[in-house]
Amino acid sequence: MENKEMLLSVRDLTVEYTSEDEVVHAVNHVSFDLARGSTIGLVGETGAGKTSIARAILRILPEPPARVPSGEIIFEGKNLLTLREEEMQKIRGKEISMIFQDPMTALNPIMRVGEQIAEVVRLHEHCSKAEGTKKAKEMLEMVGIPGERYYEYPHQFSGGMKQRVVIAMALACNPTLLLADEPTTALDVTIQAQVLDMIRDLRQKLGTSMIMITHDLGIVAEVCDTVAVIYAGEVVEYGTKEQIFDNPLFPYTIGLFGSLPDLTSDVERLSPIEGLPPDPSDLPRGCAFHPRCPHACEACEKAHLPLADVGGGHLCRCNRLDAIAAEGKKKEARA
Amino acid sequence: MSTPMIEVRHLKKYFDTPKGTLHAVDDVTFKIGKGKTMGVVGESGCGKSTLGRTMIHLLESTDGQILMNGEDITRVDKKQLHEINEKMQIVFQDPYSSLNPRQTVEEIIREPLTLSRRYKSRAEIDEKTEDLMHLVGIDERLRHAYPHELDGGRRQRVGIARALSLNPEFIVCDEPVSALDVSIQAQVLNLLQDLQEKQGLTYMFVTHDLSVVRHISDDICVMYLGQLVETSPAKELFIRPLHPYTKALLSAIPSTDIHHPHERIHLKGEITSPIDPKPGCRFAARCPYACDACHQPQQLTELTPNHFVSCCRAAELNGL
Repeated sequence: MENKEMLLSVRDLTVEYTSEDEVVHAVNHVSFDLARGSTIGLVGETGAGKTSIARAILRILPEPPARVPSGEIIFEGKNLLTLREEEMQKIRGKEISMIFQDPMTALNPIMRVGEQIAEVVRLHEHCSKAEGTKKAKEMLEMVGIPGERYYEYPHQFSGGMKQRVVIAMALACNPTLLLADEPTTALDVTIQAQVLDMIRDLRQKLGTSMIMITHDLGIVAEVCDTVAVIYAGEVVEYGTKEQIFDNPLFPYTIGLFGSLPDLTSDVERLSPIEGLPPDPSDLPRGCAFHPRCPHACEACEKAHLPLADVGGGHLCRCNRLDAIAAEGKKKEARA
Repeated sequence: MSTPMIEVRHLKKYFDTPKGTLHAVDDVTFKIGKGKTMGVVGESGCGKSTLGRTMIHLLESTDGQILMNGEDITRVDKKQLHEINEKMQIVFQDPYSSLNPRQTVEEIIREPLTLSRRYKSRAEIDEKTEDLMHLVGIDERLRHAYPHELDGGRRQRVGIARALSLNPEFIVCDEPVSALDVSIQAQVLNLLQDLQEKQGLTYMFVTHDLSVVRHISDDICVMYLGQLVETSPAKELFIRPLHPYTKALLSAIPSTDIHHPHERIHLKGEITSPIDPKPGCRFAARCPYACDACHQPQQLTELTPNHFVSCCRAAELNGL
């Protein structure tokens, strides 16, 4: 599927981790597109395979044990999965960069923070040492850290500031695509708000496209244009932010919304999703969600459905949609 | 009003550090009624966990009073401490590090029962252990499992069972769900609510997650750098926050309502150091409304019924 406007097309991506006696199916035939300048949110719980997708795009999966048996990742017309490592190194950090989840471990503790940013710049822009330093200071200021702090070490920074350094590093070479892996999970809400605002501003200024990996639906609502809900390494629902938030269809997506305490309405009890996420080394047959699904029927245990368009590009992988809709109507009528 | 289950008056907890005295909890006063839940919110480093630990005597308070059922329990001897410990328990944030990796589920839950010497025979203890596992929803078959074999949600259930083992009256829940995934988080929150209903427990729920705290609490305390800045009934706080910090905190929560984006209050700067702080409002350095009077010590004042705020400009700013 060639589309000129698409910056990134992930097709049928599969990632497995193999160990002595088992195969962990972390990502299973995931496909999505990202238009230039827009943001897609990958939403799901721990172990759903979100980070593996990002790492596969950047080709930084630990191989072995990881393996990518199938799939294509087309970025600016090139399939990243078939590039030679030297070519990939030119893209990594320059055209595609990543904000890692944990700022505490993403920075080198025995290297000055400024140097860590300058390193990326010197490597990709082939500039002099002084120019690299100058650019790194500019980047620090852009994320709201005084340039003088270039010479400090990570332990002298607070968590929020460390995360801003990680962001500065990721943005130093004006990447076309930014992979943000839970960039604010380790931060407090007021600092999170600062970081999110900053990412949004920079994205507007530089026109960067972004993949936002998160489990927080609030963050998705604030920064994403499209959303892919990931469960057991699969996209189970896909659509624009409006389609997903106004009209969530897949029972897991509905469950995620039900699990969230709401700030504006009163619910005596939350409606959690019963059970646990499946073991990726032993995925259930049929629909991966059926053991936890309140609407599951016999067919769900057998048939593994493809994503189907339910209208306007809203994709969903469920064969009980009619039944669920009918039930919803009944409830409404009763109310 | 009847005697509150637990009350703290001007509680202080200071730590000596090489750089000076760290004011972790500074002059905090509030009450929790029996069977109620008090939510304590604030950002990392604001002293909310220290407050919880000081209240149940895991840390010794520097100054102030702690009262349980009207009785002063601030300074107690070893024997009294033993009695208090049975009535006050804690559920820790991280179920990965608060359970002994070398004990089985059964051993973890049984330990307080054995230590209490309340039960005479092994059979009684076994029965009680089984009851507790059933109560928190851990399968019988997991009794010989080790913590690393359990997922986060089940581990937290073990932590809750251990806290409940001696029928406490008061439980400090220190970020009990923040290490858990959303769907599991909801299961544990529901469990805590059910237990409170069944056993008439009083909770102090420490968390940085505001939507969780609104859901579970009757009253909320907002802390900033060791100080209590605002306390009010939970719903009231979200409808009408009075302190500028509370307002900024609430506005920072990403909302899932995509059609009504709310106005965000931008806070400048980072949290200042709690070591040897200056008198006065500690939020003043980041507060958009700060004036000279803010550098004087602030009083916690009841502006509307049951709604206390520690800000000299709160009345004027909110038109009260």
